Formats: sequence, structure tokens, C-alpha cells
Amino acid sequence: MRTIFRATSRFLLEARRDLVRPHGFAAERVGFISVRAAATPSALLLLAEGYHPVADEDYVNDATVGAMMGQHAIRKALDIALLRGLGMFHVHMHDHAGRPGFSRIDLREQLKFVPDFFKVRREMPHGAVVLSRDMAAGRVWFQPASVSAISEFDAVGPRMIVDFAPGELG
Amino acid sequence: MSVRGDFSRQSFLGANSERVLAETRVAIVGLGGGGSHIAQQLAHLGVGHFRLVDPQEIEASNLNRLVGATQKDVEERTPKVKIAERLIRGIRPWARVDVAQAEWQHADHLLKDAHVLFGCVDGYRQRMYLEGAARRFCLPFFDIGMDVTRLAQNRYAVAGQMIMTLPGGPCMRCLGFLTQERLNREEDAYGHAGMNPQVIWTNGTLASLAVGAFVRMLTPWFEASRDFEWLELDGDNQLVSRSRQPDYAIKGPCSHYSSADLGDPFFDIGAVLAGKEMTNFT
Repeated sequence: MRTIFRATSRFLLEARRDLVRPHGFAAERVGFISVRAAATPSALLLLAEGYHPVADEDYVNDATVGAMMGQHAIRKALDIALLRGLGMFHVHMHDHAGRPGFSRIDLREQLKFVPDFFKVRREMPHGAVVLSRDMAAGRVWFQPASVSAISEFDAVGPRMIVDFAPGELG
Repeated sequence: MSVRGDFSRQSFLGANSERVLAETRVAIVGLGGGGSHIAQQLAHLGVGHFRLVDPQEIEASNLNRLVGATQKDVEERTPKVKIAERLIRGIRPWARVDVAQAEWQHADHLLKDAHVLFGCVDGYRQRMYLEGAARRFCLPFFDIGMDVTRLAQNRYAVAGQMIMTLPGGPCMRCLGFLTQERLNREEDAYGHAGMNPQVIWTNGTLASLAVGAFVRMLTPWFEASRDFEWLELDGDNQLVSRSRQPDYAIKGPCSHYSSADLGDPFFDIGAVLAGKEMTNFT
């Protein structure tokens, strides 16, 4: 199944603006994008509906990673998924142009918390997204142990940008 | 020349424009006088993925304007989506064309993962519903329509509009195009020159305006910064101008659609994985 992550260009601009702000001790900022979803027989649409920055005080000072969320940050994101019936996608940004990618640490850490969202909102997909200045990459979990790459990112605005993941045909 | 054809005469659209257009998925609802023009132009441009939705078969009265239709189609009552599909494949045999001879509410699977939605439907209420679907799936929406109003004996005003709206920006109600007064009036009558008068040159002009706005959105040949467009066609004087109505009508951010309206209302990934289709409008 193709997975399409779709957001307005204004939404992505505001998320990027927030994510590049410096933090007191963390090397990068993180947040969550809440999504609603739609499906066709061959495609899953993830429709960005809200951006939720992790609060300054909810970072853990850990110099071995770019940013480490504390338990409060994850609990707040779980609350949003539970109370509003949304899918949750962890998001951070690599401040360069071109296609970003997850680091080995990103992939390892995602496995620790993304499946937890299914405990509170099992009918929604969850996952993680990394933005660059102009592109994106991501992974989506359909079930706690079922993960695949996001196939396409659509930025909907006066200038529409459709960005296919490597290997995905248009 | 690429495997898709020779697009050298439109190379000013940008170095990647051929690939961008070939990868773009367009949904067209209504394949009559306006939609058939749009389908034809998009095929010539090199758009690669079409989703065509229209429940109707051609009638003799459609032949005055339905691009690609023949007398034989009228005799055989060919579905309008099939005429458009034949037209597109005749121009670009490599294009993928999915069709549904159905009301769009019964074929929303063809709309959801499109990149843009062209609405060529009759009536204000249908426009409102279709724009609602565009908002639900976060799609740019291009609407065209024309009307003929009788001014006096044998004197008519031919007018039309091309409106483009974007998710997050002002909708057709914010712009002042869809008003309660118009919706109410529609219940009584639509046009005064017979039943829903339509002519090919006006349909073609409006379709061209929509396709131009679409290409400007997809390719970098010209600045694209506006989050809506409303072009008015004065068909009597053959003039196109930007409507000033939004200058007075827009009161602030769109209050008609919210993020709560996004997606399938009863979405369940378990049902999707089990192969159950999500429907919203039926």
C-alpha cells in the first residue's frame, strides 16, 4: 500500500520555523505532527492536522543524542492521540536542503515509543518524519510491529510540491 | 524527446516539468462541456494520471460543446467518461486513466489520492459539496462554470468564472462566491435561456484559465503565491478580469472548514488492512 503524507505548505513552513529554533541544551528540536487519515484500495493518506512542539522543559539533557524527549513529552503526545482520536508522527529536522534520512539512533529510538501509540489509539497509523529545508522522509506503522517507508510527501500550496521517496514511481 | 513524447515547445515550464506533469494525478469531476476541454488540455500538456468521474451518457444536446464526442457516440449513448478516456489515450497512450461512471460521492476513492481536483459540475450546491471533499482530502480545487442570463428580448449576458481555492486558504464561501442567497435562489431556477445553457467557446475559455492556473501551481514558469484565484469572464465583451468580490468578502481565516474535517470520519487502519473500503459520502 502506498502511503502519502500530505500537508499544506503553510503548515510545513510553520513546523520548520519552530524546529530550527535553538534550544537551551539540546542540539535539535523535536515535536509531533498529528494526522487524520483516509484510504483507497491502494493508498493510505496521512493528512497533517496539527503541529505540537515538545516544550523546552520536556527535553532530557543527553549529550549522546541530538534531542532526547522526557516522559512528559511522550505522555502529552499520547494524550493527544487518545483524547482527539489522532495518529501521531514524531518529527525533527535536519537543517540542510535535499532528502533527509533517519540516523541509526533515530531508528532505534522510534522503536521504543512509536508502538506505544497503538495502546491508546490502535485504529490510527503512527510514525516518524524527518524534514529538511525542502524535502522529507518518514516511516509509518500500521500496527505495532508493521512499519514501512512513507512513499510520497505532498506540500499543498500556491506552489505544489510532490516528493516521491526513492524507488517510488510517480 | 523522451519516451513520453516531444515536449520541447513547452520546455520553458522548467527543466523537470515533463516529469512533474507525468507524475501528477488529476481528478476531474464532470466530463461535459468544461471537463472534456480540461481533460484534453491536460493530456496535451503531458499529465500522466487521470481520474475521471461522471455518471452521465452523452445526449444529442451535449454535442454542441463536448470535446472529443462524435455523432456515433450520441447514437450509442457513450458514457462521458469513456469519451474523455478515449480522447486522452489518443493523445497520450501511456497515460493512466481511471474512470467511474458514477456520481462522485460514489467514487471518492478516485479523488482522495489525486493531487488536484477539477470541478466541472452544475449548480452552486454541488460546487459547495465538491469543495468540501477537496478540503477533506487536502486538495487544491479548481472550479469552472458559466451561466447565461436573459437581459431583454433576444439579449443575453454570458458570464463565467474560474475559481481556485487551496486547503487552509479562503474557500468559495469566504470569497463571496457561494452565498446563502445564491444557494437558495438555485432551488428555484438556474439560468434563464432554457435549461442550463452552455456553449463551447465559453467552456473552452474557462477550461483554459483553469489549466493555466494548474500549470502555474505545478511548474516554476511564473510566480505562484496566491492562495486563491477568482477570474471572471465577461462572455459578451470577451474580457477576463480578477474578481474584486474577495476584497470585500474575506473577513479572516476560513471558518467553514477545520482540521477536524480532514480524512475519513470513521477511519480504522484495521479495516483498511482487512480490505474494507472507507466511504464518506454514501
